[in-house]
Amino acid sequence: MNGTTARPWAAIRKTKSYKEIVKALWLSNPISKQILGICSALAVTVQLKNAIVMSVALTFVVAFSSMIISALRTIIPRNIRIIVEVAIIATLVIIADETLKAFLYDVSKQLSVFVGLIITNCIVLGRAEGYALSNPPFRSFMDGIANGIGYSSVLIGVAFIRELLGAGKIFGYQVVPEAFYAAGYEDMGLMLLAPGAFIVIGLFVWLEHSLLKEK
Amino acid sequence: MSDKLKSLLFAAALCLVCSVLLTTASAGLQQFQERNIILDKQKNILKAVDLIEAGKRYSPKDVETLFTENIKQLWVDSDGSLIDASKRGDTDIPVYIQTSDGDIAAYILPIDSRGLWGRIKGYLAIDTDGSTVVGFTVYKHSETPGLGGEIEKVWFQKNWVGKKIVNPEGDLVSVGIAKGKVGELVPEDKRDHYVDGISGATLTGKYLTEGIKEILEDYEPVSIKFRTNTVQGPPGTQGLSRQ
Repeated sequence: MNGTTARPWAAIRKTKSYKEIVKALWLSNPISKQILGICSALAVTVQLKNAIVMSVALTFVVAFSSMIISALRTIIPRNIRIIVEVAIIATLVIIADETLKAFLYDVSKQLSVFVGLIITNCIVLGRAEGYALSNPPFRSFMDGIANGIGYSSVLIGVAFIRELLGAGKIFGYQVVPEAFYAAGYEDMGLMLLAPGAFIVIGLFVWLEHSLLKEK
Repeated sequence: MSDKLKSLLFAAALCLVCSVLLTTASAGLQQFQERNIILDKQKNILKAVDLIEAGKRYSPKDVETLFTENIKQLWVDSDGSLIDASKRGDTDIPVYIQTSDGDIAAYILPIDSRGLWGRIKGYLAIDTDGSTVVGFTVYKHSETPGLGGEIEKVWFQKNWVGKKIVNPEGDLVSVGIAKGKVGELVPEDKRDHYVDGISGATLTGKYLTEGIKEILEDYEPVSIKFRTNTVQGPPGTQGLSRQ
């Protein structure tokens, strides 16, 4: 056995893909590092279920739009490239929205305009412009998945805290025992409102920045 | 080929591909979406008469069974008589009847009112005394989330239960939305005709108040029949008069 196979992890860590995925998930996380996609992060994180559906929808859109744009990158005329990118993204978003309306009607009603607003989410167009236009399709697809997960991780983290503190529930199931309420515990109403999300996202940003600094 | 022409052709081809994809998605999913919309309406009708609890899970089948067992759609003609869909005239308006053991338990009016940003659609259920509100629900609106959007919340809808649409003299006064807490703003003798308002949503409240009043006026003929205990059901439901 040579050194590479003995320590496969170390070898993987040296590959370009690994570095790029780590970058998307952590070093330049779309929400907590680049502060992109904040609007939807504020709006859909009241409940975990909504946050997860939104995360899946965004990951789907960013992965496939990056892949398609990357596959077409040599033939997209430069002068209309933004329009082309937005048209592709918009098509995928509408397909995602229609699918939600058909199979997850209640969630889609609660997410309302925010699925449609994925079109204007800076993360999607940012990855198309910044990565897909200059990288091959598979790598662009993986980049989209990684960025989608980076976005999802913060969204789900924020939703977990908001639903737990704001409603005493996880996935709609009561987790704070009745005895707590009887003893005078009260749900934190602030967490259900947008300012609560601002504070939680701010704490996430703070946490990530201070952890990165320590390294 | 010049650059301009190439761009134009590319754009045209892209548009074509995108429209084919969107049409396919929309046509293929339409039947599922329509079913969901119908189910959602049925769920809201059931919620208005308190047959469905907020926050509890119901499968589509549960909703359908509950609906067919308890709710019947009829039409109201200009005299206020209830008639079957088959005898329906052009000016007749829809109403839903909640039945329990063959007796009418409540009647439910579809709400379609002006809101601040778009139509507000929902249901208002009224007891067989023709006066007491049994429940109020909203299934579609475009009000601002957190402000006017609160009309879809349980706390707001619970407010309506037990309110009276007529005053003790028997005149239709409708139920209005106060500009704050009813207990602080409305004199005691009028509290039966107001629900707590939503702060920051004065206009939503104003339009919905007007909308509800107009709808109640449209349905006044049938409400009067309920109040005077002279409701006439369509053939086959003649025995529906209340005890």
